[in-house]
Amino acid sequence: MRLTLAAASIVRAPLRSALAIAGVAVAAALLLDMVMLSSGMRESFRTMLLVRGFQLRIAPKGTLPFDSEATIGDASAIVDALRQNRDIIAISPVLGAQVHLLAARSGADVTSFALGVDGAVEGDYELEAGTQVGGTDRAVANAAFLAASGARIGDTLDVVAGFDPQLRSYTGRRHLVLAGRARFYYTAARQAVLALPLATLQAMAGSSRRDRVSLFMARVRDGVEPDRVRDWVDRAVPRVSALSVSSALKQVDARMGYFRQLAFILGGISLAVGFLLVTTLVTVSVNERIGEIAVMRAIGVSRAHVVRQIVVEGLALTVAGTILGLAIGIVTARVLNSILGDFPGLPASFSFFVFRARAAWASLGLLVAAGVLAGIYPAWRAASLPIAATLRREAVA
Amino acid sequence: MHAVIGRLALLALLSAAPAAHGQDRGRDSVRDSVRDSVRDSVRDSAGVSTRAAAAAAAIPIAIDQQMAEDAGLRIGDHVALASEPGAVGDSAVIVAITTQAADPSEVARREYRIRLHLADLQTRVGYGDRVDRFAIATRRPADDTGVIRRVDDAAFGFRAWPSADIAVRTSQTFRVVSRFHRAIGGITIVASAIFLLCILLLKVEERRRDVAALRLMGISRRSVVTSVVLEAGLIALVGSALGTIVGWIGSLVINWHYRGVYRTPLAFSIVTPGIVALAVGLSLVLGLGAGLIAALRLVRVPPLTLLGR
Repeated sequence: MRLTLAAASIVRAPLRSALAIAGVAVAAALLLDMVMLSSGMRESFRTMLLVRGFQLRIAPKGTLPFDSEATIGDASAIVDALRQNRDIIAISPVLGAQVHLLAARSGADVTSFALGVDGAVEGDYELEAGTQVGGTDRAVANAAFLAASGARIGDTLDVVAGFDPQLRSYTGRRHLVLAGRARFYYTAARQAVLALPLATLQAMAGSSRRDRVSLFMARVRDGVEPDRVRDWVDRAVPRVSALSVSSALKQVDARMGYFRQLAFILGGISLAVGFLLVTTLVTVSVNERIGEIAVMRAIGVSRAHVVRQIVVEGLALTVAGTILGLAIGIVTARVLNSILGDFPGLPASFSFFVFRARAAWASLGLLVAAGVLAGIYPAWRAASLPIAATLRREAVA
Repeated sequence: MHAVIGRLALLALLSAAPAAHGQDRGRDSVRDSVRDSVRDSVRDSAGVSTRAAAAAAAIPIAIDQQMAEDAGLRIGDHVALASEPGAVGDSAVIVAITTQAADPSEVARREYRIRLHLADLQTRVGYGDRVDRFAIATRRPADDTGVIRRVDDAAFGFRAWPSADIAVRTSQTFRVVSRFHRAIGGITIVASAIFLLCILLLKVEERRRDVAALRLMGISRRSVVTSVVLEAGLIALVGSALGTIVGWIGSLVINWHYRGVYRTPLAFSIVTPGIVALAVGLSLVLGLGAGLIAALRLVRVPPLTLLGR
């Protein structure tokens, strides 16, 4: 009965109702996007960090992993020190450097980012085809490297680390066998990447990189609190800064705080717009039907019934708009994510907007609450009408 | 003081080393700092030559204001400077405190910067006779292409870029943020347009009895429509003026907040005449459109029906 009356009231002014639903839909879409944005970055970053199960990153003192070209010296001594802790079950040392591929199939030299890794650990990438990094000369590359160089699995690559302009000769020249193709988790989406044995890259880079690494990744035994191991690393090896997932997320919050604040502000504005729109429309609708409501009260319809009917009317507008808005929100989130995906250096696996059912429920809940609140003021006004005076005024009018 | 030493060691390291791992932005900014360290330290240390001379063997360095504030350092203070955390390091004297430039690329990095003579930095980080880049001024900008070609042809491992290209590459982050803001702006414009349209339609609908009375008095449909449209336009104009004031105040609050958060003189929000014109123009068009639609709907209905008879 109440639903029928509410529906009749909405259908009575179709243009107005359609505009209200459209307004709530856009507000709901923006709210969903902002809820996804506020939690998406953290979720995405957490997933990315834990993709290979390494809970700790160990970088040069005071820096974040690969935030600068700073490296950690005496890497083998640090590995020995870390192995003293039985809670650390795997260590992946990584060195980053730039290399140049000479005489590529594509005809031009290719400059690529190189990762020196321990092939047995495979912490930075996932092998898609071929075999692992290994020996002294087996390397794997990503699709961007293969596309730029035209190289194929099985090819021998002529790679150099640099050029000495005084001697007019290449430095750190090696012939590497391209053993496999891999997907790298932490490098930029369209960046050419080559992974090769750590010792080979250290030797190619010369004395400045001897026994040095850019970072270590460490896997902690199940059931052990990573933050406890992080504190141990900070104490045991003062030359480095250890970063657990929780401390890395704090850094992300600090650096990307702008987006979260923007999400909260715009989410708040969306809620306010939806609330005001529904309040205004229901208030006007009640004002137009003031005579009707007075008649209903005069024939014995209770105040509670009138209140419920008007609240249901506001709620119906809100729910209709919100359902439409959630669908629009998912589409706009994809568009916005593709825009932000062009950030330079951003890994392909990182997303700003991550859809979670929780986000959709949160948006729906917030808007439904706003819709109920929006109906309360006009409902209170309608329920507290002086019946006789209203009927007389309406009759005279 | 140990914390300060450690931090300085890190900074020397950061200044010396361009970023890797695809961090183009980081690499460029660090290279900027290397170049700036040469230029600025020469300039700054010249300005306080008396103090620098007094410091004798200590390395003259300039630190930024944030570092001075956080570490409680002042001009003339001596600190230890090392390229490795925990190393003993060399004595350095602060000869200048620099203010942070309004550079958007450095906003989120929150790094301290120290500047020192190129030779001092090369010695301390074992960089040899190497630099990350040279900045070259040409006599005639028109010759840039030829100069770039000659530098590129000189040897493998060199690459010359026009400053404008570097500016484009390093501003990629901000172009992305700008596109994101435009997209969000588009959504909010649609939301506010619907809201405005709805409110103005309701406002005009409320006048149904006035319109009926005017029509019964013999006022023409055209005059009624014109008056309703003008009223809607006026409301939109007054609303836009108020909205502009609110937006301007909001912009001041945003700048105050983010300048404090990021400790930068950058302007994060600017209300330009173009933005005001867009907002006022849009609301005026929507107001007039809504008024016209509602007025035409009203004048088509017989006056007695409008009165509910």
